[in-house]
Amino acid sequence: MTSDPYGDRVRELFADLAHSGDLADAPHVCVDDQGVRIALAASLEDGVLEALRFRAWGCPHVLAAAESFCRDYEGRPCSDLLEFRSAELMQTLPVPTEKLGRILVLEDAVRSLGQSVLHGLSGEAE
Amino acid sequence: MTTSHEMLYLDYAATTPVEPGVIDTMSQLFAFEGDFGNPSSGHVAGRRASARVAHATSQLAQLLGCRESELVWTSGATESDNMAIVGAARYRADRGRHLITMPIEHKAVTDAFGSLEKQGFEVTWLQPDADGLLVLDDLEAAIREDTQLVSIMHVNNEIGVIQDIEAIGSICRRHDVLFHIDAAQSVGKVPLDLATLPVDLLSTTAHKLYGPKGVGALYIADRPGCHVEPLIHGGGQQRGLRPGTLAVPLIAGFGHAAEIARLHMDENTEHLVELRDRMWEGIRDVEGILGNGGEDAAFPGILNVSVAGIEGESLLLALEPLIVATGSACNSKDREPSSVLRALGRSDELAQSAIRFSFGRPTTVEDVDFAADRYRSAVARLRELAPRSAA
Repeated sequence: MTSDPYGDRVRELFADLAHSGDLADAPHVCVDDQGVRIALAASLEDGVLEALRFRAWGCPHVLAAAESFCRDYEGRPCSDLLEFRSAELMQTLPVPTEKLGRILVLEDAVRSLGQSVLHGLSGEAE
Repeated sequence: MTTSHEMLYLDYAATTPVEPGVIDTMSQLFAFEGDFGNPSSGHVAGRRASARVAHATSQLAQLLGCRESELVWTSGATESDNMAIVGAARYRADRGRHLITMPIEHKAVTDAFGSLEKQGFEVTWLQPDADGLLVLDDLEAAIREDTQLVSIMHVNNEIGVIQDIEAIGSICRRHDVLFHIDAAQSVGKVPLDLATLPVDLLSTTAHKLYGPKGVGALYIADRPGCHVEPLIHGGGQQRGLRPGTLAVPLIAGFGHAAEIARLHMDENTEHLVELRDRMWEGIRDVEGILGNGGEDAAFPGILNVSVAGIEGESLLLALEPLIVATGSACNSKDREPSSVLRALGRSDELAQSAIRFSFGRPTTVEDVDFAADRYRSAVARLRELAPRSAA
């Protein structure tokens, strides 16, 4: 029997991708791999992720994962970006294992954003 | 709109709902009060069931323009395709083992040929032109002394292109090669007169023309050299070609559906042409859109379009509540780009963005307008989501 490839959580996120878009003059990164393109941007306030935005070209799981990441990480210390693990999203959305590679592209993008943000902060401190 | 809030069904090339009158016909054939007998039995119950089968055979024969004796009931087009291709290849194997088909055929055909290749048959796979049509000169050049069978789909299930079966069949006749068509998409929707067409074997199924699932038929022309070896063996029913107790309710339903299709073909075709043209008009100015399949030889019930810069799986979800297909229904679970669209020269990205809209009797103009609006807004939304460099 054919089952719905998308769980309720993926459908809910896909229907309301509230964090899609850009942030003017904010640190941003873009990763293109595995047939997926993900751009992330972050605005900061006192070392805290004030706002996160994404743009993505990919399957519904990728879009939902990007939206979920943005929702979860706003308000957290920017150092948390370096701790992001895709494994949790794989389970909570959930994402089928054959799409792990695509979700790892999001992980790469998040970590890249973290490095960019922290590098900017250290530059300010100097 | 012919839909609940949950869906707007535009996947009639995958399957159709059963006509209420057909359901009534079938429902008379299950219970004790009805004609539930085994049509192979000689007693009155069997004879009544047999008469029902004979009536249905007559109804389908009228639709196809053939004799009742040229039809064999099967479980559907997949079985008919296998019976035609494998059965004919085996029957004529002592004359030669070369066969011809195209890579854009339905899986039931390509896999049957693949199976024969493993059994030592040689298959020539002819590439289509940019519109999906068979190039007649290529066919002529591919036929050899030992060629025994050519199998070409009448209406392609993904892109709706209609092959020139009269021209193809004429070439086959000239070379004494059997010609099989998979007509699952065309029977009851496109005029077919097997009394005059040079077709030797034809596969069809009920569920594409508002009949039940689980029943199909194979036409085997009554002419010298045209025969198939049975694939299954048993009680000798249907002249031993396809033994097994006949599914009388399903066969009767198929017969009734065939009669309805024959009586209303012109008006149904007119309806489909209006819907397909209206849909295309509603979306043709979307940036990067591309019709798959030639406009000159297109079946009106199917409109297949690709669009540049859009991820197909997300498009499919963004289109909900539209129920459409990304490829043939049998293939839509795997995300590989359609082999049909690849054969037409589409890039992977364009092939995976392909959406097949297929229309049916219940589809209304309002449905199509809703679908066109939905398509336009879904494409715009996904373009807005994409990183700027990819837009």
